[in-house]
Amino acid sequence: MNKIVVGLIFGVVLGALDGATAWFYPETRPVIGGILIGSSFKGMLVGILSGWFARKVHSTGWGIAVGSALGLLFAFLVAFMDAKSGKPHYLEIMLPGFVVGAIVGFLTQRMGSPAVAKSGAQ
Amino acid sequence: MDADTAIGGPSGQFPSTRVSLLEAAASGLSEAATNQVLALYWKPVYRFIRIKFQKCNEDAKDLTQGFFASALQRDFFARFDPAKAPFRTYLRMMVERYAANQHAAANRQKRGGEAEFEPVDDQAITTESPEAEFEREWRRQLFCLGLEDLRAHCQDTGKQLQFSIFEEYDLGERDRISYSGLAAKYDIPETTVTNHLAWARRTLRAFITERLRATTSGPKELHDEMRRLWK
Amino acid sequence: MEVSDSVLEHLCQVTALPDLTGTRYELEAEIGRGGMGVVYAARDRELDRRVALKVLEVPLSGEAQLISRLEHPGIVPIFESGTLADGRSFYAMKLVGGARLDQYAAGEHTLSESLRVIRRVGEALAFAHSRGVIHRDLKPQNIMIGEFGEVYVMDWGVEAVAGTAGFRAPEATLDKLSDIYSLGALLKFLLSSPAAPALAAVGQKAMNSDPRARYTSLTALLADIDRFEQGQAVEAWSEPVWHRVKRFAVRNAVLLWLLVAYTFVKFLLFFWRKS
Repeated sequence: MNKIVVGLIFGVVLGALDGATAWFYPETRPVIGGILIGSSFKGMLVGILSGWFARKVHSTGWGIAVGSALGLLFAFLVAFMDAKSGKPHYLEIMLPGFVVGAIVGFLTQRMGSPAVAKSGAQ
Repeated sequence: MDADTAIGGPSGQFPSTRVSLLEAAASGLSEAATNQVLALYWKPVYRFIRIKFQKCNEDAKDLTQGFFASALQRDFFARFDPAKAPFRTYLRMMVERYAANQHAAANRQKRGGEAEFEPVDDQAITTESPEAEFEREWRRQLFCLGLEDLRAHCQDTGKQLQFSIFEEYDLGERDRISYSGLAAKYDIPETTVTNHLAWARRTLRAFITERLRATTSGPKELHDEMRRLWK
Repeated sequence: MEVSDSVLEHLCQVTALPDLTGTRYELEAEIGRGGMGVVYAARDRELDRRVALKVLEVPLSGEAQLISRLEHPGIVPIFESGTLADGRSFYAMKLVGGARLDQYAAGEHTLSESLRVIRRVGEALAFAHSRGVIHRDLKPQNIMIGEFGEVYVMDWGVEAVAGTAGFRAPEATLDKLSDIYSLGALLKFLLSSPAAPALAAVGQKAMNSDPRARYTSLTALLADIDRFEQGQAVEAWSEPVWHRVKRFAVRNAVLLWLLVAYTFVKFLLFFWRKS
């Protein structure tokens, strides 16, 4: 299984789990379906990009840093869109998104098969 | 010495292999085996008895002679078990037992059991233990017998020059003459001196090995004793 | 013919030295005494290089010929074997600089370095076993650590003369399992005490007095050492639950800390939101 697929799977799963924690805020329960879908999609994007990065750069530290940055960026975009429709929840969305991005970045570094070097001669 | 000893040069021919001690005893050659043992061990046994039991020259000789005579009569070789100890150690222990018994019997005869120390001369005084002295004489006697074998072989085969060079260089006591000195003295190239010395030394080693083989129980003891001799 | 002590000493020395007449070597100095012979440094006149000459007291056996054909980075290459003019057999082999393992072990070394040495020795042994050669006398004195950290196993095929206490397997007939025992003893020798329980268990399994209870092959032993170094469970030790949890936590420390951070952030935000 290559690293992009690993990132995709873990991104979707962890994103969904992160979205599911919104259930603890009763006011979000009516729209929890949308939150789950959005969070899973966000996680998938972070995972794919982190997986692609992990194929290029083999460094746990950099993997975590890039995953965190991607998680923060996409979480910001989600929070921005959410803010337009009412009360902003930047902190509640971005902070966990940042940590989930770090976890996905770490997992794509540790798991999955690295890219196979192409031979120069054809 | 067995005349069938073709000592060669670098082609590596060696003396005919003597049988080991037990092989000789087992095949009914115990007299030959005894002679080998006598030739090698008479002096070490004598020295051991002198030091261990503080005997004078004549008494030590008598005890030594008595020991070997007793050993012949008592089927000495048949009781030797190579698994327990090398022959050298076995023989020394038998000597100790024999001499102690004789010494005790002699004292009982003289003064009802009190130990008596007889005066010793300078030759017996040594700082080494009797066991160490026994081993030292064993080593010395091996080399002496080997040297006799070498001298006889050189006489028989017309290699007197080789022996002379060896004698001057390796048996010399004080400042040794150099290789170039020997070459000049005998009017031969220095490389020939080197070759003659190498030949004499390896031939000596071969004769010593054969003497040792005839007084050990088999290959394993032989190699152990060789390691001990040349440690 | 009588000889004095000084002449006797001289004769002992000159007759002990190997007679290299007819060979391409010039004797330099004695450098060590092994199981069944003496090792000398010598110069190969033809190739103008220094070699080690091992002069044996026993004739070269058929197994010796096998050993001379072993080519492995951990086995000292043998250049030539033969019989000297004085009848003794000899090997000419690479002269290895560096230190013997017992001397090397006296210095400070990390666990990782010690395990690297064990692995190199095990690989050389495994290769030899695959060619039907058994060492029979593996001990620190028969292992050299070269100047560049390379590891050489020496003195092959010679059954221990006296048996080095602690390194020779207890069974009478020595075989591949006896070499495994000896490698376990080497592992124990190199480990500082107290050793990690998993490594101690690996050593104990290798050194089981019942050969059938030991590792079945050197590959299995080395695999367990690899597992230990990767933080995985070793086959030789049924570890208690708390140790398994601890090992999991150590291996996955970063992930666990990230999960803790996520949980912390969630709780923080929840209670901050409530207040």
